[in-house]
Amino acid sequence: MKKGRIKIRDLHKSFIREKTNEDLAALENFNFTINAGEFISVVGASGCGKSTLLRMIAGLEKPTRGDILCDGKKVEGTSPDRGLVFQEHALFPWLTIRKNIAFALKSSGRYNDYAHTIDPLIEKVGLKEFANSYPHQLSGGMRQRAAVIRSLAVSPDVLLLDEPLGALDSFTRMVLQDEIIRLWKERENTMVMITHDVDEAVYLSTRIVVMSPRPGRITEIVPVPMPYPRNRGALEFSELRTRLLKTLNFAADVERAKGLEPSTSTLARWRSTR
Amino acid sequence: MSLLIIVQYLYVPNFREFTPLDQNAPTNTFVWFLGFFAALFLGWNIVSLFSSRASGMLKKRAPIFTAAFLLLLAYDWATLSTGMLPQPFVPWPDAILNAMIRDREILARSLYHSLRLLFTGYGIGVGLGVISGVAAGRSASIRYWIQPLVKVFGAIPAVTWLPIVIVLSGNIPGGLFGGAVLLIAVAVWYPITSTTMNGVLSVPKGTFEAASTFGVSKLGMIFKVAIPASSPFVFQGLTQGMSIACTALLVAELMGVEAGLGWYINWQRGWADFAGMYAAVVIIAVTFFIVNAVLSMIRNFVLRWKEGIS
Repeated sequence: MKKGRIKIRDLHKSFIREKTNEDLAALENFNFTINAGEFISVVGASGCGKSTLLRMIAGLEKPTRGDILCDGKKVEGTSPDRGLVFQEHALFPWLTIRKNIAFALKSSGRYNDYAHTIDPLIEKVGLKEFANSYPHQLSGGMRQRAAVIRSLAVSPDVLLLDEPLGALDSFTRMVLQDEIIRLWKERENTMVMITHDVDEAVYLSTRIVVMSPRPGRITEIVPVPMPYPRNRGALEFSELRTRLLKTLNFAADVERAKGLEPSTSTLARWRSTR
Repeated sequence: MSLLIIVQYLYVPNFREFTPLDQNAPTNTFVWFLGFFAALFLGWNIVSLFSSRASGMLKKRAPIFTAAFLLLLAYDWATLSTGMLPQPFVPWPDAILNAMIRDREILARSLYHSLRLLFTGYGIGVGLGVISGVAAGRSASIRYWIQPLVKVFGAIPAVTWLPIVIVLSGNIPGGLFGGAVLLIAVAVWYPITSTTMNGVLSVPKGTFEAASTFGVSKLGMIFKVAIPASSPFVFQGLTQGMSIACTALLVAELMGVEAGLGWYINWQRGWADFAGMYAAVVIIAVTFFIVNAVLSMIRNFVLRWKEGIS
């Protein structure tokens, strides 16, 4: 049986604001099951608790109530079975790209099993000439690639991606999206990605979770029934994008924008998302 | 440019022949000394003909070397040639070199004593400083206690404690030597602790979190993540600490410890042997220069991963 099934039950997370001692709910009543091998994207405005959700699945934060099961086992801390790619690569700057990956493998105790995969992985994402370079010598896109393969090298059942392409230019993003799909197809692991980019979500995922902010709740779960590789220009693609934007409450603004008159609600939302 | 140096070298020994022979009959030591460097340069020039790297290095350094030897020439002129500087308190290069040769054994022993004291104290201070710095960086409760300690006692120049150390030396294991080691260790401990702590605190949270997703052990977090990640800061402390340690070493030797180059200077002052005093000063300068150069070489090697370090 394939591994990497995540079951989230009645998840609730709140933070206590230090100044006012106020209880802030970041996530409420979150119930969701991710099947092994799925590619889930989580979209939603800033502050909807997406990152908190991902960090809890990774085991970096503890839920206030409820629990997360990974293949039937309760998540109680980090594990090499659940890899996490950060928005800001988080490569170790004092190690070369190859040594970064080797360090991840050694730390997870999987070096002997996967050491031979390091070089092929590096080559696959076009970093062959940079294997012995230090992170600061690489471009932003190359660093993010290295971070993705570093996390994939330990062969996690679940790979969590926290806006991994958020800081990149759109061209590099598209190239990396294809690479992520390729690696996922090859590994058949579970992917959970957070993104701000609706296009990216439609292009990559099998299902998209749309969340609403404060407190974070699931608004809608949208399946994406298109085969890979997907065509960004297809009608089906743009229809789905429009629908998602509507769910996220942006579609109405598109209509209003045609009248060249920004509504107060648009401005208010723009401010709140900044 | 390199030719210029050669020409200049040929002139410097010549210049010496014109100098009047006053009291302390000058010997040929200085000529030999200059001749040695002239030969070195000649050799370097020959190598430069074949190696563009050596030639580049020579071209880059030629002006500063020229200036250094011009300065030496001016010094020789101001002392031996004209006696412009008050004699006999400012001996000329030849006399200083001769003092070095005459007292080479005792100077070597003094140098050994100084270095032993320096590195024992420095080593202990660095070791303890890195431990406490990492601990304070990782744990807020340890930081709570260490931070004020560093702030209050770190502000006091370490040599302030010297008279106390001398008074207490009877009760300190190792006597005065032990006391001086303690003094240097404490002096070095402050900057190392505070830079290491700041270094660990400045490591992005994501670095530790990423490490924890790979299952890095608790010990690994310290030795394989926290320390390498904060090493640029640690080296900043190492450099600061070395300069403080050198100061503390000399003050300790000048004031109490009965061995080492500092002690030698004092001892020669007692005999009114000014050349000897200057000889020790030159040796101290050269030694500290070498120590710092080695430290910065180590630093450049360890921090080769860092942007902006060659």
